[in-house]
Amino acid sequence: MDPAAATRPRRDTVPTPTEQALLADLGRTLGEDGLRTSALSRATYRRDASFLNADPLAIALPRSREELAAVLTACRDHGVPFTPRAAGTGLAGGATPTGVGGVRPLVISVARMDRLLALDVANRRAHVEPGLVNARLGRAAAAEGLRFAPDPASQIAATLGGNVATNAGGIHVLTYGVMSQHVLAVELMDADGEVHLLDGRLPEQDALDLRGVSVGGEGTLGIVVGAWLRLLPAPPAVGTLLAGFATLDAAAATVGALVTSDRLPDAVELMDARAIALVEGYAQAGYPTDAAAVLLLEYEGLAAGVSAGVDTAARLADQHGATEVVRAADADQRARIWKGRKAVAGAIAKQAPDFFLQDVVVPRSRLGEMLDAVVAIGEREGLIILNVVHAGDGNLHPFVLFDRREEGVLDRVFAAGHDIVTTALSLDGTVTGEHGVGIEKRDFLSQVYTADDLALQQAVRSAMEPSGLANPDKVLPTTVGCQEAQMVPEGAWV
Amino acid sequence: MSEAATLPAELAPVTAAFQAAATDGQRLVIRGSGSVLDRLPPPAGAEVLSTEQLTGVLDHRPEDLVVTVRGGTPVEELAALLATHGQECPIEPLAGHGGTVGGRLATALAGPRQLAAGRVRDWVLRVRLVTPECRVATAGGVTVKDVTGYDLCRLATGSWGTLGVIAEVTLKLRPIPTQSAWFSTERPATSALADLYRPAAVVSTADATYVHLEEHPDDVTAQATTAGLTPAEPPRWPTTARAAVDPARLAELTDWARRSGLDLAAFEGVGVCLLDGDAETISAAAAQVAALGGGLLHLDPRAGGAHAPSGGPTDMRERVRAAFDPEQILTDVRQSR
Repeated sequence: MDPAAATRPRRDTVPTPTEQALLADLGRTLGEDGLRTSALSRATYRRDASFLNADPLAIALPRSREELAAVLTACRDHGVPFTPRAAGTGLAGGATPTGVGGVRPLVISVARMDRLLALDVANRRAHVEPGLVNARLGRAAAAEGLRFAPDPASQIAATLGGNVATNAGGIHVLTYGVMSQHVLAVELMDADGEVHLLDGRLPEQDALDLRGVSVGGEGTLGIVVGAWLRLLPAPPAVGTLLAGFATLDAAAATVGALVTSDRLPDAVELMDARAIALVEGYAQAGYPTDAAAVLLLEYEGLAAGVSAGVDTAARLADQHGATEVVRAADADQRARIWKGRKAVAGAIAKQAPDFFLQDVVVPRSRLGEMLDAVVAIGEREGLIILNVVHAGDGNLHPFVLFDRREEGVLDRVFAAGHDIVTTALSLDGTVTGEHGVGIEKRDFLSQVYTADDLALQQAVRSAMEPSGLANPDKVLPTTVGCQEAQMVPEGAWV
Repeated sequence: MSEAATLPAELAPVTAAFQAAATDGQRLVIRGSGSVLDRLPPPAGAEVLSTEQLTGVLDHRPEDLVVTVRGGTPVEELAALLATHGQECPIEPLAGHGGTVGGRLATALAGPRQLAAGRVRDWVLRVRLVTPECRVATAGGVTVKDVTGYDLCRLATGSWGTLGVIAEVTLKLRPIPTQSAWFSTERPATSALADLYRPAAVVSTADATYVHLEEHPDDVTAQATTAGLTPAEPPRWPTTARAAVDPARLAELTDWARRSGLDLAAFEGVGVCLLDGDAETISAAAAQVAALGGGLLHLDPRAGGAHAPSGGPTDMRERVRAAFDPEQILTDVRQSR
């Protein structure tokens, strides 16, 4: 998207008669506390955790399915589109309130629908409302000797409804799989306020897996109002290893060897020298500051398998010239090793006023090439890029650091982001592994898919959400008449 | 037809069959090796569209743990190739009935190892589908993580041939577990399960519980000792019918099956129960399964057929189906009589 095409915010926009009628209806349903229309509220909900932003009509904060259904039917009756949202930790603009044809959408936050409805320990599953925070389910499950496997870095804030809507990933995807594998059933509310149970609890012989399509639907297929999630037993043994390397290539080659070893690790994270320096200055995780890269590895399961896995990993790291290999001796040391990885976003906030976080995937055997390319792109654009990688999945998260006050820097940031994506595509990779398409990656889809592929995607979308009011302008490349999101960071109220 | 210029030659018979069916108003049923289709009553008024010519491994990348195969490739042929690299995709052939990769995807029937290995759909990275409108559409990619666009791979898996011909599939692989062994115990399955950490499979039969462990050899020994397991051959797999229920309700079905004198192998924690018995008792089982909200396939072409589960958002499902097959050329073999 061309940043020069950005429109100015419309904070002083006067609602049209249609908008006024909708707001009056919503005010009666939700009361003063459940409907926000002020310039300050609208500014707060202009964007998610990306910096793509746009002006919403207002923000609805329903407390129940009944209130949500009333909000949706009001939107339908007045023909106003809506943008679902919860914590707003998304990174691709999926919750940015862009409208269609100049009509501002209503932001509908499900953050207040946050109950854990059932924790079925015997059958290892939980029934949750969409606003429940991921980590809260994790704590409730842990109290019963269970765990919820998807662990995106934002899990202390991100909600399960958002995790479903984006098909979220995390650190332990390598063997446990992405969100979809942990979603047994989705309750999806359509634009008429009707709830559809997209059930996947039968092991086979079921009807079409609409559950699977709704996971990762990014709010364009309806609003997730509930989900049944799969829980797993907590592992009896955990082994964690930290390995430092003198070159990025050596670390990447070790990842390749681990992937083809006789036991897959449950997590393989890679951080480059810039990331190490940043988090060491912030979180003191004990990473070797002279290393070009570190790998953080975790094996979970039964004692002998975990121990053998850690031995194998240490041997492979040595064979690939590791300069340092540290095995976590206890839970404290393990927590310290992971502390660095989890502190990345916080550490960046100390270092640079702004960052642009990319999300691309390549086949694991191309990881070394991709990392080299990211370094070269950073040098060419004169930008600091640090790499934090779900290496076992081939999923890179380059953080491009910048200061928006620097003249012309945004053009270089966007150029770097664009080149990172096209490089991943040229290596047989894809444009998003876990953050989603939202607005940010939308226009790349025609480089991933053929016109026939996209026509079918559009047909499925229209079949599941015929009204076209649910989060328009997201996921699929659009034609004309859409309100552009601003790419310019808007920081005045942050 | 789109993409005519780039259409792979082996897909020409598929598109020709779709075009002829559209012209003649003929309904079609997609058939792989017949591992399921041949054991159901013949679909009334439908011609068979075979995927037998669509065979071959297109691209195995051991270093990336992924493989791309044509849909008609026999599951056992793929498994043999992967085994030479110490790898597997835990999509199991039906006991004694092989099957094709595309067929296993389309039916998504569970093996006992679904307990730990997950479902068929969890191993699918990319699907190339030929729709009845002769669109050749791809969804997903060759990386293990991919949220680019809507997840039509999940939709194609378990679609029972109602969306199109599965021409190509890219699957996620894993290393073959270090040791794999079957055990048995007199203990009830639920009590054995409670003592085990993520066993590969737990199967209840009429008179015993069978446990499949796939771990490091020392862990296999330790788990077997803790849970009081004795080494055993795998159980016999009944083949007359297979019932699927919410795993939370499996015990209600197995209790009934035992009382009714059916031979059974129930996949604990999964919710599938294989059954052997006479036609009358299997019919009674279908009623039990229906009451539990599940489905039952009576795999005897002379009897039964299928009881597809009811419920769910029918209108939305039909609209999605129509997005692939607006003329309703493709027939769900479970509902075709």
